[in-house]
Amino acid sequence: MNSFAERFSTTTAASHMRNAQKLAEEDDEFDGTMWGSSAGFGSIAKGVPSFTVPAVADPTAFLRLHTDDHADPSCRIKIQHGTTTLAFRFQGGVIVAVDSRATAGSYIASGTVKKVIEINPYLLGTMAGGAADCQYWETYLGMHCRLHELRNRERISVSAASKYLSNLVYSYKGMGLSMGTMICGWDKTGPAVFYVDSDGTRLKGDLFSVGSGSTFAYGVLDQGYRWDLTDEEAQELGRRSIYAAGHRDAFSGNSCNLYHVKEDGWKFIGNYDISKLHYDGPGNVPGSDGRPYGYDIRVEGLSSTNAPEVAAAA
Amino acid sequence: MASSIHSGPGFDFSNEIRNNFMAEKGLPLPKATSTGTTIVGCLFKDGIVLGADTRATEGPIVADKNCEKIHYITESIRCCGAGTAADTEFTTALISSNMELHALSTGRKPRVVTAMTMLKQMLFRYQGHIGAALVLGGVDATGPHLFTIHPHGSTDKLPYVTMGSGSLAAMAVFESAWRPDMDRESALTLVKSAISAGIFNDLGSGSNVDACIITASSTEMLRNVEMPNERVQKERDYKFRRGTTAWAKESVRDLVVSETVQWVGGEAMDTT
Amino acid sequence: MPSIEQPQQRQFNPYSENGGTILAIAGADFSVIAGDTRQSEGYSIQTRYAPKVFRLTDRAVLAVNGFAADGNMFVKKVRQRLEWYRHAHAKDMPLRAIARLIQTMLYARRFFPFYVYNILGGIEEDGTGAVYSFDPVGSYEREACRAAGAAQSLVQPFLDNQIYFKNQLPAPGTSHPAHLPLSTVLSLVIDSFTSATERHIEVGDGLEIYIVFSKGSTSLQGLASVRGLQEVTTTDDGERVFVIRRELKKD
Repeated sequence: MNSFAERFSTTTAASHMRNAQKLAEEDDEFDGTMWGSSAGFGSIAKGVPSFTVPAVADPTAFLRLHTDDHADPSCRIKIQHGTTTLAFRFQGGVIVAVDSRATAGSYIASGTVKKVIEINPYLLGTMAGGAADCQYWETYLGMHCRLHELRNRERISVSAASKYLSNLVYSYKGMGLSMGTMICGWDKTGPAVFYVDSDGTRLKGDLFSVGSGSTFAYGVLDQGYRWDLTDEEAQELGRRSIYAAGHRDAFSGNSCNLYHVKEDGWKFIGNYDISKLHYDGPGNVPGSDGRPYGYDIRVEGLSSTNAPEVAAAA
Repeated sequence: MASSIHSGPGFDFSNEIRNNFMAEKGLPLPKATSTGTTIVGCLFKDGIVLGADTRATEGPIVADKNCEKIHYITESIRCCGAGTAADTEFTTALISSNMELHALSTGRKPRVVTAMTMLKQMLFRYQGHIGAALVLGGVDATGPHLFTIHPHGSTDKLPYVTMGSGSLAAMAVFESAWRPDMDRESALTLVKSAISAGIFNDLGSGSNVDACIITASSTEMLRNVEMPNERVQKERDYKFRRGTTAWAKESVRDLVVSETVQWVGGEAMDTT
Repeated sequence: MPSIEQPQQRQFNPYSENGGTILAIAGADFSVIAGDTRQSEGYSIQTRYAPKVFRLTDRAVLAVNGFAADGNMFVKKVRQRLEWYRHAHAKDMPLRAIARLIQTMLYARRFFPFYVYNILGGIEEDGTGAVYSFDPVGSYEREACRAAGAAQSLVQPFLDNQIYFKNQLPAPGTSHPAHLPLSTVLSLVIDSFTSATERHIEVGDGLEIYIVFSKGSTSLQGLASVRGLQEVTTTDDGERVFVIRRELKKD
């Protein structure tokens, strides 16, 4: 009898517990955190935000049916693919360079995408695969890096940050997330680059390139890469590699965004139009002779269509 | 099968399986221009009125804003076409040609049923692969006749008919206002409002109204009899300054070649 | 009679495509957000007047395109969250915060997406005109102009040429302007829609153009001669919002 009364009472300690439990259980779509600034990322104390899932037997198949534009170009929801991103470690820090094109099938959805995500003043993430996946989870990662700083009175290591992201996306494995990202930064150990993707792969390394244009970027990067590159040489190498990918890969291009991470954090070096790089060169920037990247200038008077004067006369 | 460099007559289906396979793999065939259309026809006191809109589409894009969908069969038989633009154009042209030959060999004015039979037999032979949906109308020795012919070859003979994606909108007008033995004026007005219903309520139809009035004594083709969708004036001029387009290199070639002929002597060759 | 023991397969298809087009252009101290009002499915017009552009606050206007049911529900939810914000903070949410809010709201449905392309236009806290565009799952970016929807591939290249001056060399000794005046922007918007109406079957019927001005904007004078203008501002001394309604061809 006593327990029966308690169950429906609104004043006892048990009812307060009940209310608290109910609050915690409830979908955080309507809880108190929505009123404040952490809106949308859910209650941080609780861990991860929650997601609405369609009420079908196989939600993953449902998502694939409506989003996968690779097999079905007529499908309704298009997620951007096609990218070139690169990052490499060298004596002077980390160079991060990316293109800025977003494609939906053969249509260029945008030519001004920011594929470098500024997680915090010491950490950069790159974007390849699903744009929203990268943007959202790397922003989310930034919040947790800040929490790490507050809890431990020191900055998070690049290794720990990348592992946090890796574990996070691994928990969604098979659900359809699509990201191939490089977490770049400078910590106690010096410059660091980690490759993390939505399969759960996490690799430490000196040099990575991700995306449909990565093969073209690797071609330039590999032949020009040395540990003892000067800052200016390294920046020029990053620029040229993205230019090469933008030039040869139809799904990459428009412009190149260049970042340099040093001991005191990252610095944005510049935005370079790929066409301008081809015809006019990067302009007056350190590390470059300012000449056009296109080979027309180098073969002037030496190619078959534009034969040398002497040969023409003969 | 013996291999031959000569192709047989008729359609070539040799890529059918390959194309279906490619479509399955996500490489659809290029879209044919279709006349997602409103076409109609109705009987009146003295003959037939045919009507059509003038929009041709490629998927959601308007390919032609003022195309002609009322095709010539004979002087007193006309045919409206809906469906794949190329199919309607070529089938009606072919049947028109055969009707002319038929007229010449019989020495009579050909009948509407003859055209209808030729069309349905051809469409049936190709089992719907020729995507032509037609409204055939005309006046012959036996009086006025109006038919619809579906892509698979079935036909209907009715006093008022509609076809194409706007057929329901147009038929709604006919069902509410068509009467037997209408005069020429009110029949034309009815056809115009039936086509207008298609133009405004069906996305596959649009632009202008074409009509054709066929009587025993005359055929009157009323091209763009109504133009309710004139293009509006643009707010700005889009003229570009000379030198707007960048160029990578410039080369000027003299197209006038000057040559001198040097006579080297000797006698001219005997070319007789 | 078929046995009920037989396995049955059902397709869950909650999405549809309702046509139409939206676009937004940012000026120096104003922002223009426009959309047509036709809502269609297949070859049928569901209605000739279904707004796709919505005033959220006096400095934010949201255009939604794609699946109309998802779009309307999404706008409703965004408005609800903005009201909650007003109750908690006694002020309207700043534009960049609304943009981030929309990202998180879209991404919360990452595995059951809202089939909606969003364009948010308005005035930033520093008084500049801004446009944010989103994909259905929440990736977003601030831009100067953006078109989305059925006629995106017709309108965006036109804007690239006329706003960003793509493929246009400036006259010798001059440079392209960074921001266009209001009258030019309005003309470009109207021409974009009349042209899209000519060549895309899903665009037409009506046009709604929202204009948001920053506090004390001088561009306001450009509105003097505009016909069909209506002010929809709710507060006195802040940003001002206007709407222009025009007819488009109905075929």
